[in-house]
Amino acid sequence: MSNFIFGRYLPGNSWIHQMSPQSKLLLSFYFVIVIFFANNIWAYGALSVLILFVVIFSGVSIGYFLKGIRPLIWLIIFTVLLQILFSSGGHVFWHFGPFSISDTSLINGGYIFIRFLLIIMISTVLTLTTTPLAIADGVQTVLKPLKKIRFPVDTLALMLSIALRFVPTLMDEMETILNAQRSRGVDFGSGSLKHRIQAAVPLLVPLFTGAINHAENLSTAMEARGFTDSEHRSKYRVYKWKGKDTISWIVFLLVGVVVLFVRKN
Amino acid sequence: MDKEIRFSKVTHTYQAKTPFAQNALDNVSLTIPAGSFTAIIGHTGSGKSTLVQHINALLKPTSGSIDIFGRTITPNTTNKNLKELRQHVGMVFQFPEKQLFEESVIKDIMFGPKNYGASETEAKSAAVEAMRLVGLDESLEDHSPFDLSGGQMRRVAIAGVLAMKPEVLILDEPTAGLDPRGHKEIMDLAEYLHDQNDMTIILVTHQMDDVIDYASDVVVMDQGEIVKHGRPEEIFAAPKWVYKMHLDLPSSAEFAMKLMDAGVKLTKTPLTIDDLAAEIAKIAGGEGPKE
Repeated sequence: MSNFIFGRYLPGNSWIHQMSPQSKLLLSFYFVIVIFFANNIWAYGALSVLILFVVIFSGVSIGYFLKGIRPLIWLIIFTVLLQILFSSGGHVFWHFGPFSISDTSLINGGYIFIRFLLIIMISTVLTLTTTPLAIADGVQTVLKPLKKIRFPVDTLALMLSIALRFVPTLMDEMETILNAQRSRGVDFGSGSLKHRIQAAVPLLVPLFTGAINHAENLSTAMEARGFTDSEHRSKYRVYKWKGKDTISWIVFLLVGVVVLFVRKN
Repeated sequence: MDKEIRFSKVTHTYQAKTPFAQNALDNVSLTIPAGSFTAIIGHTGSGKSTLVQHINALLKPTSGSIDIFGRTITPNTTNKNLKELRQHVGMVFQFPEKQLFEESVIKDIMFGPKNYGASETEAKSAAVEAMRLVGLDESLEDHSPFDLSGGQMRRVAIAGVLAMKPEVLILDEPTAGLDPRGHKEIMDLAEYLHDQNDMTIILVTHQMDDVIDYASDVVVMDQGEIVKHGRPEEIFAAPKWVYKMHLDLPSSAEFAMKLMDAGVKLTKTPLTIDDLAAEIAKIAGGEGPKE
């Protein structure tokens, strides 16, 4: 678990750290869409080169980065295997019952593999270089147009930032309760399924009551500090669009054009 | 059985081999004698809680080993068969009331003993005894733990640990957030368990008055290392050093320092209220406090 870096923030001051969160969010989203347009080796090559530069510009060492996404590799391999064994068409090399391996299925499997890898890498870069609160702010900015259809963007952003803020707190609390119950003789993660489910009760009940207590205290404290509603608030953290954002967008758009150009129709 | 707790060159690194790696214990060697009342003090983040969590193998050393109750905990120790060790070592965490979960007080206290294989009746009698020890009224038995006051909830939690009849009791800031009366009751309970039941008590605390009043051994930690281990009088003999470790003096010593600054000459630094009274009585030419 401790080697798992997906969804964590690594403090730094790189090019990507300095970009505004809204443009990072939109860029990641855009990148994922472009990935699905790619359908040949050249397009994937262009995207891979781009992601390599992104990782370099994020200031995170590539070795650490690869080690961190390693736990996800099993998920990827599983999906790729399904793709290889069950897709039909093309020249068949080998088949057994419902399973078969053909040249198209191998190529499809390879593409799925690269797609997965690219998506995981871009989203890992996003979370590694952006604090959770900045992500929440970014989401608020990105979703602003939805206010037109009376979607409660500000409330959602508030909930999101509180939720993100309490993830580590609740994780710490879970760890403590886990340890406390362990010292009282609970064996987590062993025995039969029924036993394991029963063992979760001494963990879940305190965790929920703790969360409810937090919510009660937090809402009281917020009201005491003059919070009335989420609509009429000014902002302390302001993320301005910078030159770095513009340059990054230009690069990404160019690569997008290249992908559209080289993809086979 | 050998009941001494021995740390040999224990190092603990959180999230080893990542950019988040944090060295919490650095080459710690320590012997906690059986039947002692050991206080562990140190600045916030000095590694006190990490240290005590090694004693019942909730954490395992990154290198080095710990000998306790005939077991040796090394970096390669697996999570299997640790139950027996944990039964011997009761651990009261900070704000232990957070661990309550059962529908009634008595069931929550019986939870520990039952996990260690006690029968329903054995667990029940252990629970009733533990309730008596911590001073909970029998009529609270069938109440929900969530209906109780904060102080009562903490007692239920402590009773839940005592019901397992541990031989070593670790208390991690057991009085944090309690009123002065609750504070004294919990500390007196620890003293009673130490004196009457011959328990080894390990207390993590920031309250230097408690260290002086109750502890027989003091371990001072700073940045993951043990910088001093001795009797309370030895630890507090050098006020300047104590301040350098970002620690306080017991309040009597603090007061005596102010007296000395104001020109009053005392023969030694008094650590307890009684010592202080005796010193002042000496100057005033009186008899000192009468028992």
